[in-house]
Amino acid sequence: MTKVKNRIRRLRFDHDEMTQEELASRAGCTRQTIIALEQVKYVPSITLAFQIARAFGVTLEDVFQNEETR
Amino acid sequence: MAPLQKRALTGLVFGVVWVVAIIVVFIIKGGVGTFNEDLGFRLIVNGLWIGGLIFYGILMLTLRKQSQVDERDRLILGRAPVVQLWAVIFSLVIWMIVLTESYWDQGIPPIFMYLVFMSTLIVSAVAQSIGILIGYWRIGRND
Repeated sequence: MTKVKNRIRRLRFDHDEMTQEELASRAGCTRQTIIALEQVKYVPSITLAFQIARAFGVTLEDVFQNEETR
Repeated sequence: MAPLQKRALTGLVFGVVWVVAIIVVFIIKGGVGTFNEDLGFRLIVNGLWIGGLIFYGILMLTLRKQSQVDERDRLILGRAPVVQLWAVIFSLVIWMIVLTESYWDQGIPPIFMYLVFMSTLIVSAVAQSIGILIGYWRIGRND
Protein backbone atom coordinates (compact mmCIF):
# COMPACT_ATOMS: atom_id res chain seq x y z
CA MET A 1 0.00 0.00 0.00
CA THR A 2 1.25 3.49 -0.79
CA LYS A 3 0.64 6.78 0.96
CA VAL A 4 1.15 10.20 -0.59
CA LYS A 5 2.87 12.52 1.86
CA ASN A 6 3.66 16.16 1.26
CA ARG A 7 5.86 19.02 2.44
CA ILE A 8 3.29 21.78 2.03
CA ARG A 9 3.55 23.03 5.62
CA ARG A 10 7.36 23.15 5.37
CA LEU A 11 7.27 24.88 1.98
CA ARG A 12 4.82 27.49 3.27
CA PHE A 13 7.23 28.17 6.12
CA ASP A 14 10.13 28.49 3.64
CA HIS A 15 8.13 30.96 1.59
CA ASP A 16 7.91 33.63 4.28
CA GLU A 17 5.17 31.77 6.15
CA MET A 18 2.81 31.88 3.18
CA THR A 19 -0.74 31.66 4.48
CA GLN A 20 -3.03 28.76 3.63
CA GLU A 21 -5.41 31.28 2.08
CA GLU A 22 -2.68 32.64 -0.20
CA LEU A 23 -1.58 29.18 -1.29
CA ALA A 24 -5.19 28.19 -1.92
CA SER A 25 -5.67 31.29 -4.04
CA ARG A 26 -2.51 30.59 -6.06
CA ALA A 27 -3.30 26.89 -6.51
CA GLY A 28 -6.96 27.45 -7.32
CA CYS A 29 -8.53 25.53 -4.45
CA THR A 30 -10.15 26.30 -1.10
CA ARG A 31 -8.28 26.84 2.18
CA GLN A 32 -10.06 23.78 3.59
CA THR A 33 -8.42 21.62 0.92
CA ILE A 34 -4.98 22.97 1.87
CA ILE A 35 -5.75 22.11 5.51
CA ALA A 36 -6.83 18.57 4.47
CA LEU A 37 -3.65 18.19 2.39
CA GLU A 38 -1.39 19.30 5.25
CA GLN A 39 -3.08 16.81 7.54
CA VAL A 40 -2.62 14.13 4.84
CA LYS A 41 -6.36 13.55 4.80
CA TYR A 42 -6.73 14.14 1.10
CA VAL A 43 -4.74 13.12 -1.98
CA PRO A 44 -4.99 15.82 -4.67
CA SER A 45 -5.53 15.31 -8.37
CA ILE A 46 -2.45 15.53 -10.56
CA THR A 47 -3.65 18.95 -11.79
CA LEU A 48 -3.93 20.40 -8.29
CA ALA A 49 -0.61 18.80 -7.32
CA PHE A 50 1.10 20.59 -10.22
CA GLN A 51 -0.63 23.87 -9.34
CA ILE A 52 0.60 23.64 -5.74
CA ALA A 53 4.15 22.87 -6.91
CA ARG A 54 3.97 25.81 -9.31
CA ALA A 55 2.74 28.08 -6.50
CA PHE A 56 5.95 27.30 -4.62
CA GLY A 57 8.13 27.37 -7.75
CA VAL A 58 9.37 23.81 -7.18
CA THR A 59 8.92 20.43 -8.85
CA LEU A 60 6.14 18.00 -8.05
CA GLU A 61 8.54 15.65 -6.24
CA ASP A 62 9.66 18.49 -3.99
CA VAL A 63 6.12 18.76 -2.67
CA PHE A 64 4.72 15.23 -2.83
CA GLN A 65 6.35 11.93 -1.95
CA ASN A 66 4.92 8.51 -2.58
CA GLU A 67 5.66 6.46 0.52
CA GLU A 68 5.40 2.68 0.72
CA THR A 69 3.54 1.46 3.81
CA ARG A 70 2.55 -1.98 5.12
CA MET B 1 -15.64 24.57 7.40
CA ALA B 2 -15.80 24.56 3.59
CA PRO B 3 -18.48 26.74 1.94
CA LEU B 4 -20.22 23.65 0.52
CA GLN B 5 -20.15 22.02 3.97
CA LYS B 6 -21.73 25.14 5.51
CA ARG B 7 -24.45 25.10 2.88
CA ALA B 8 -25.10 21.39 3.45
CA LEU B 9 -25.44 22.03 7.18
CA THR B 10 -27.81 24.92 6.47
CA GLY B 11 -29.72 22.61 4.13
CA LEU B 12 -30.01 19.92 6.79
CA VAL B 13 -31.22 22.34 9.48
CA PHE B 14 -33.67 23.88 7.01
CA GLY B 15 -34.77 20.40 5.92
CA VAL B 16 -35.65 19.37 9.47
CA VAL B 17 -37.66 22.59 9.99
CA TRP B 18 -39.27 22.14 6.57
CA VAL B 19 -40.39 18.56 7.22
CA VAL B 20 -41.64 19.38 10.73
CA ALA B 21 -43.59 22.38 9.36
CA ILE B 22 -45.32 20.23 6.71
CA ILE B 23 -46.15 17.50 9.25
CA VAL B 24 -47.50 20.08 11.74
CA VAL B 25 -49.70 21.64 9.01
CA PHE B 26 -51.01 18.17 8.18
CA ILE B 27 -51.81 17.43 11.82
CA ILE B 28 -53.45 20.83 12.46
CA LYS B 29 -55.52 20.78 9.26
CA GLY B 30 -56.87 17.28 9.70
CA GLY B 31 -54.71 14.83 7.76
CA VAL B 32 -54.93 13.18 4.37
CA GLY B 33 -58.75 13.11 4.23
CA THR B 34 -58.96 16.91 4.53
CA PHE B 35 -56.01 17.33 2.15
CA ASN B 36 -58.03 15.54 -0.50
CA GLU B 37 -61.02 17.87 -0.10
CA ASP B 38 -59.70 21.24 1.06
CA LEU B 39 -58.14 23.39 -1.68
CA GLY B 40 -56.82 25.92 0.85
CA PHE B 41 -55.00 23.18 2.72
CA ARG B 42 -53.46 21.88 -0.51
CA LEU B 43 -52.30 25.37 -1.43
CA ILE B 44 -50.57 25.80 1.95
CA VAL B 45 -48.79 22.44 1.59
CA ASN B 46 -47.88 23.15 -2.04
CA GLY B 47 -46.48 26.53 -1.01
CA LEU B 48 -44.35 24.96 1.71
CA TRP B 49 -43.23 22.15 -0.56
CA ILE B 50 -42.35 24.20 -3.65
CA GLY B 51 -40.89 27.01 -1.51
CA GLY B 52 -38.60 24.50 0.19
CA LEU B 53 -37.46 23.02 -3.11
CA ILE B 54 -36.70 26.50 -4.48
CA PHE B 55 -34.69 27.25 -1.33
CA TYR B 56 -32.65 24.05 -1.86
CA GLY B 57 -32.15 24.90 -5.52
CA ILE B 58 -30.82 28.35 -4.67
CA LEU B 59 -28.69 26.96 -1.82
CA MET B 60 -26.85 24.42 -3.99
CA LEU B 61 -26.92 25.85 -7.51
CA THR B 62 -25.61 29.31 -6.62
CA LEU B 63 -22.55 27.83 -4.91
CA ARG B 64 -21.53 25.69 -7.88
CA LYS B 65 -21.14 28.81 -10.00
CA GLN B 66 -18.65 30.40 -7.62
CA SER B 67 -14.96 29.69 -7.24
CA GLN B 68 -15.57 28.50 -3.66
CA VAL B 69 -15.98 24.89 -4.81
CA ASP B 70 -12.81 23.01 -5.70
CA GLU B 71 -12.02 19.44 -6.77
CA ARG B 72 -12.39 18.03 -3.24
CA ASP B 73 -15.84 19.59 -2.88
CA ARG B 74 -16.86 18.34 -6.33
CA LEU B 75 -15.70 14.84 -5.39
CA ILE B 76 -17.92 14.93 -2.28
CA LEU B 77 -20.79 16.48 -4.24
CA GLY B 78 -20.47 13.70 -6.82
CA ARG B 79 -20.81 11.00 -4.16
CA ALA B 80 -23.85 12.53 -2.41
CA PRO B 81 -26.35 11.01 -4.91
CA VAL B 82 -25.55 7.57 -3.46
CA VAL B 83 -27.05 8.69 -0.14
CA GLN B 84 -29.96 10.32 -2.00
CA LEU B 85 -30.66 7.09 -3.88
CA TRP B 86 -30.71 4.96 -0.73
CA ALA B 87 -32.86 7.50 1.14
CA VAL B 88 -35.39 7.63 -1.72
CA ILE B 89 -35.50 3.82 -2.01
CA PHE B 90 -35.95 3.52 1.76
CA SER B 91 -38.78 6.10 1.81
CA LEU B 92 -40.53 4.36 -1.10
CA VAL B 93 -40.28 1.00 0.66
CA ILE B 94 -41.80 2.52 3.81
CA TRP B 95 -44.62 4.09 1.77
CA MET B 96 -45.26 0.81 -0.04
CA ILE B 97 -45.47 -1.25 3.15
CA VAL B 98 -47.60 1.28 5.08
CA LEU B 99 -50.03 1.93 2.20
CA THR B 100 -50.36 -1.71 1.23
CA GLU B 101 -51.03 -2.80 4.80
CA SER B 102 -53.40 0.11 5.55
CA TYR B 103 -55.48 -0.15 2.38
CA TRP B 104 -55.20 -3.85 1.59
CA ASP B 105 -58.94 -4.32 1.16
CA GLN B 106 -60.13 -0.90 -0.06
CA GLY B 107 -57.47 0.04 -2.62
CA ILE B 108 -55.04 2.91 -2.15
CA PRO B 109 -56.65 6.40 -2.58
CA PRO B 110 -55.13 8.28 -5.56
CA ILE B 111 -54.20 11.27 -3.39
CA PHE B 112 -51.36 9.17 -1.96
CA MET B 113 -49.67 9.20 -5.38
CA TYR B 114 -49.29 12.94 -4.91
CA LEU B 115 -48.02 12.60 -1.34
CA VAL B 116 -45.53 9.88 -2.29
CA PHE B 117 -44.16 12.09 -5.08
CA MET B 118 -43.98 15.11 -2.76
CA SER B 119 -42.22 13.19 0.00
CA THR B 120 -39.76 11.63 -2.46
CA LEU B 121 -38.56 15.06 -3.60
CA ILE B 122 -38.31 16.25 0.03
CA VAL B 123 -36.32 13.15 1.02
CA SER B 124 -34.07 13.57 -2.00
CA ALA B 125 -33.33 17.24 -1.20
CA VAL B 126 -32.61 16.63 2.49
CA ALA B 127 -30.57 13.49 1.71
CA GLN B 128 -28.30 15.49 -0.59
CA SER B 129 -27.30 17.67 2.37
CA ILE B 130 -26.78 14.57 4.52
CA GLY B 131 -24.73 12.95 1.73
CA ILE B 132 -22.47 16.00 1.48
CA LEU B 133 -21.95 16.09 5.27
CA ILE B 134 -21.17 12.35 5.31
CA GLY B 135 -18.69 12.98 2.46
CA TYR B 136 -16.81 15.60 4.49
CA TRP B 137 -16.87 13.38 7.55
CA ARG B 138 -15.47 10.41 5.61
CA ILE B 139 -12.79 12.40 3.82
CA GLY B 140 -11.70 13.84 7.18
CA ARG B 141 -11.31 10.42 8.78
CA ASN B 142 -8.08 9.78 6.85
CA ASP B 143 -8.94 6.17 5.96
